[in-house]
Amino acid sequence: LMNSPKKLPQGFHRTASSAKTQRLVSVCKMYFLDYYCDMFDYVISRRQRTKKVLEYLEEQKTLEKIPNSALNDEWYGYLQKENEVLRKRRLKPKHKDFE
Amino acid sequence: MSFLQSFHLSPGQTIRSTRGFKWNTGATQTNGPSQPETPSAHKSTRPLNGNVASPSMNPGITTTPVRQQTSFNPSSAQHVTDFNYTPSHQKPFIQQTAGTTVTTHQDIKEIVEMTLGSESVLNQAVKLPKGENENEWLAVHVVDFYNQINMLYGTITEFCSPTTCPRMIATNEYEYLWAFERGAAPVSVTAPKYVECLMRWCQDQFDDETIFPQKKDGAFPDKFVDKYVIPILRRLFRVYAHVYCHHFNEILELNLQTVLNTSFRHFCLFAEEFNLLRSSDYGPLLELVIELRDR
Repeated sequence: LMNSPKKLPQGFHRTASSAKTQRLVSVCKMYFLDYYCDMFDYVISRRQRTKKVLEYLEEQKTLEKIPNSALNDEWYGYLQKENEVLRKRRLKPKHKDFE
Repeated sequence: MSFLQSFHLSPGQTIRSTRGFKWNTGATQTNGPSQPETPSAHKSTRPLNGNVASPSMNPGITTTPVRQQTSFNPSSAQHVTDFNYTPSHQKPFIQQTAGTTVTTHQDIKEIVEMTLGSESVLNQAVKLPKGENENEWLAVHVVDFYNQINMLYGTITEFCSPTTCPRMIATNEYEYLWAFERGAAPVSVTAPKYVECLMRWCQDQFDDETIFPQKKDGAFPDKFVDKYVIPILRRLFRVYAHVYCHHFNEILELNLQTVLNTSFRHFCLFAEEFNLLRSSDYGPLLELVIELRDR
């Protein structure tokens, strides 16, 4: 006990080394690793998608065959789709929560 | 991506000094007169032990303040360091501790500093994607932070019981009360009870389709941010506050500090990006939040 460098509650190490706590800790770490991987993946790939769409729209504009309103509609159609994807991320059942 | 590497907890990578938390090691008061201050030496690395209290064994200690000597109790001298967070304005009221196991202290300090490493990845990731509906972006994040806090608190539920935390406090200065019914006076509850009520209250709102729409064409209510997002974040923050102030020792011991710091930093950056919390909402962790912001 005297070797403990910190003030810890009594029986801390017993509880901390229990299988239950160990499992909770590793689930927690995995959850965060998974969350941040997924979140960065989403943010980065979404930026790439948007960039491509904007490049495409810019290209179409220079061709001058398509009216501006049509391009606007395409842009808003794209945003609509992205919005649906984002909403699904909020609603998706997270299996990893229940491991 | 260097950010992700910080999840693999191997101490001794990139280290910044003077980062992160304030410790109540009490070591700052004791100035050995003949010891020169070197920039690399942390203050608590100075040898402090029971001898300090005994003038005959240590005649050169005359510079030690009187208050320090009187408050020092040799019988309770032990190697105890409390890493739980205390704002600096509360420091004088905290009992001084007599010594520090240097190696462990340094190790932990380094780990904490590393976890708050200077990553700009999170700052970028909280930004609203081009053309996205702001409410949708906020809603997704509110649910994410709810899940994160649930996970974090879940791992220390064994250490946060009605006995250990009979009141939902964060340092001695802040207590959070819970109102069980609309209009009823808020009452003092235990920390686990508070967190339980808080999580259920959040979940009820997430399940309410008039607040958090689930269908493709569902719209967010008027004043969604002021009426729902901000109150939820304000309360979720309190769980971070309680964990930082009263369970940081356990978090360190369980090696969850990276996860906690990352989550909290993400939370703060997000709140700042969209101006969701005022400095009064940060209460006990204001100093910590300012450090995060200024880095």
